[in-house]
Amino acid sequence: MSSNKVQSIHDSIKSKIQKSEDIVLKELKTKEKNLDTFYFKTLTDETQLQNFLIKPFFEIITPDRFLSYLQSHPKIKPFESEQQTLDELIGGAVILFYMDTIFILDSRIDRNNSVLDTTVETTIQGPQSGFSESLGTNLGLIRHRYPEPSLQVDSTKIGSISRTQVMIVYDKNKVDPVVLDNVKKFLSSIDIEIFQSGEQLLDFTKKSRRTLYPTIMVTERPDRVAVNLTTGKVILLIAGSPFAVLMPTVMKDLMASMADIYQTYWIGKFLLTLRYIGLFTSTMLPAVYVALTSYNPEVFRVQLALSVAGSRHAVPYPSFIEVLLMLIMMELLMEASIRLPKAIGPTATTVGGLILGQAATDAGLVSNIMIIIVSLGAISNFVIPISIFSFAVRISKYLLLLLSIFYGLVGVIIGFFLLIAYMVSLDSFGKPFFTFIENKSTN
Amino acid sequence: MKLTGKWFSVGVLFIIISFLLTGCGFKDIDKRLFVVSIGIDPAIDSSKKYLISLKFAIPIIEEKSNESMIVSEEADTISEAVRMIKPKVDKEIDFSHAKVIVYNQKIVQKEIEPNLYYWFIRRRDIQEVSWVAIGKPSALDVLKLKPKSERLPSNSLFLALGRDGPETAYIIPEFLFDFKRRFSEKGLDPYLPIIEVNKNAFEINKVGLLNKKQLKLSLKPMETMALNFLLNNESKSALVIDDKDKRLVIDTKRVKTKYKIVPDNQKQPYIKFDITINGRIEEADFSVNNADIPEYEKLARKVTQENVYQFLVKMQKANVDPIGFGLRYRARHFEKDDWKTWQQLYPSIKFKVNVDVQIEDTGLVE
Repeated sequence: MSSNKVQSIHDSIKSKIQKSEDIVLKELKTKEKNLDTFYFKTLTDETQLQNFLIKPFFEIITPDRFLSYLQSHPKIKPFESEQQTLDELIGGAVILFYMDTIFILDSRIDRNNSVLDTTVETTIQGPQSGFSESLGTNLGLIRHRYPEPSLQVDSTKIGSISRTQVMIVYDKNKVDPVVLDNVKKFLSSIDIEIFQSGEQLLDFTKKSRRTLYPTIMVTERPDRVAVNLTTGKVILLIAGSPFAVLMPTVMKDLMASMADIYQTYWIGKFLLTLRYIGLFTSTMLPAVYVALTSYNPEVFRVQLALSVAGSRHAVPYPSFIEVLLMLIMMELLMEASIRLPKAIGPTATTVGGLILGQAATDAGLVSNIMIIIVSLGAISNFVIPISIFSFAVRISKYLLLLLSIFYGLVGVIIGFFLLIAYMVSLDSFGKPFFTFIENKSTN
Repeated sequence: MKLTGKWFSVGVLFIIISFLLTGCGFKDIDKRLFVVSIGIDPAIDSSKKYLISLKFAIPIIEEKSNESMIVSEEADTISEAVRMIKPKVDKEIDFSHAKVIVYNQKIVQKEIEPNLYYWFIRRRDIQEVSWVAIGKPSALDVLKLKPKSERLPSNSLFLALGRDGPETAYIIPEFLFDFKRRFSEKGLDPYLPIIEVNKNAFEINKVGLLNKKQLKLSLKPMETMALNFLLNNESKSALVIDDKDKRLVIDTKRVKTKYKIVPDNQKQPYIKFDITINGRIEEADFSVNNADIPEYEKLARKVTQENVYQFLVKMQKANVDPIGFGLRYRARHFEKDDWKTWQQLYPSIKFKVNVDVQIEDTGLVE
């Protein structure tokens, strides 16, 4: 490259970079040679810079030998284009101008590479650590758990501003090529400015950009990722996020916990059944309460009917207002305990759950039975292992409640059918949402 | 955007229409007054025909339970009476838990009006699994009864008739749907358990047998037990074998009855009963010996055979058929006038009873 051209690139890069506090333009000089460096000190690991560049620069005396050092160092790449150089610089690389050649030293600082404990999907037994916030570390974790040469990693970028690096990980022998194709098409169709976490993809799964039930799963567990790789799923790793995205995801996956694998067969099956029971109770219970107390009390046994009637004797409002009041109180409580600092969280739950609930019954605002219904519904909602799905279920109970207010037990049944019909209509990258039995691919 | 706007308006329309549809259905449980039992008596000194009483359960509030109130009204029909009772109470009357219907004995002794049971079938809110019974001395007395062990109004009746409580062969409960069916089914006659009130307790150990019109026969407790065994209802009971100098009681564990109508192409048609009784000796007024068990079995067989035979003849004489011999006959004969043939046959048919008693042990270790 001619000396003029290098100079022009030098000036052009310099002019394109906004003047900011953390940019460093430094010239290293000895008698024989001189080296220009460009980097952001906030993005670059300066100890690496010191070890790989500055020390050798002053130790190696002849200019030619230093040039061959630069050319053979594994962390130093040669210049490709001006745009690429600029991108690398913003990404944290050091740009070197030496003897009419341009080099890029990859010395970006890797913050947040410590492996985190699982906090969302906890299990009693089995691995306890999740992903870190560093892409390289995460990929390493997966390779560590899935040491197969067929594991393929593609890279892409999402986000017009954030240009977040995303890695597409899959087992080449096991992945369904149609699904992989769908996933790649889906990723290229995403139009978003800042992309920081996998959950943001959820809304893009539907044309209307409004989804209720997730058809993409986000997980913080490397062991879950490894298991899902064997079933031919495509995994996305997102730079800066400790969550991996699994595609395609159907209801069966959303109801599965990693604990199922780490338990004995019957315990695992029992827990799975329990979760489905929880799914039903958390969606149906408030609606069924309204339908039974206000439309069809004959379904109760007489003993229960009388005690329900007795517990409602002081309640001034109709049953649906009572239910709505309590449900909204419960939602506020749940939302508040997420937002609050961890230290105050339990206090809020105690105050809200115990004191408020007790006081509400004493004041005659709600009946005792109602408190049982609402708390049972909330508890069974927590049984659902994947939090996005548990949120979706939390919302869908209101549809049933609305229908039960107007149509009683018939409304509950119709609403249930509507929900099932909607879920049946969903699919995840070509796989129906209600896939329960998977035919094993023969490879 | 256009599409979502359209869906939004459809949603709003849906909700508005829904508001129009509410009304009669929605009624909170605390605004309802549950009827737990219904009593039907003849009217006293009045131009009206019946005295209808409803027992309402008052919801359990705090420690107080088993609170109830009874409202009675005289009228010619049940519907009228119910409409007259409505303005007397503060809440909507709900029949969905009316589980016991009691008729005064006088009502069933006369010709019972079909309306008196069809009304309950017609009402959508009365469950057909309600029990029907005869009340003595009156239906109202049965409703008024409040045993000390009772936690909820009429619950002791529910427990006794529903067999959730006592397991006894002296009670033969009768459901409303079955009662109705027995009225219309040729060859199967209705029966009703009799609830007798003594001071502050009730006693259900008798059964009244009806033909298609009225009460024909009131069974004694022992006969009630026999009928229970013949209907294969409840096996657990105590069979008292009383034979001159010996008396022993067998705790029956399993009683199975089979019967066969032996064809009438022979000269003398007869009904053959095979009854198997399994049990153990519970009590005896003599020293029981394990080696003598076959002897006790023989004795029990003889006594039971005789008792059952007498009972069957008694029913035959009253011309009632709660076991359904006629229905069995009709089901297995395809002549045009099978019912007529049976009607002629039944008064003269013979019974052959074969009882097999098996005493498993004496209950003691020798």
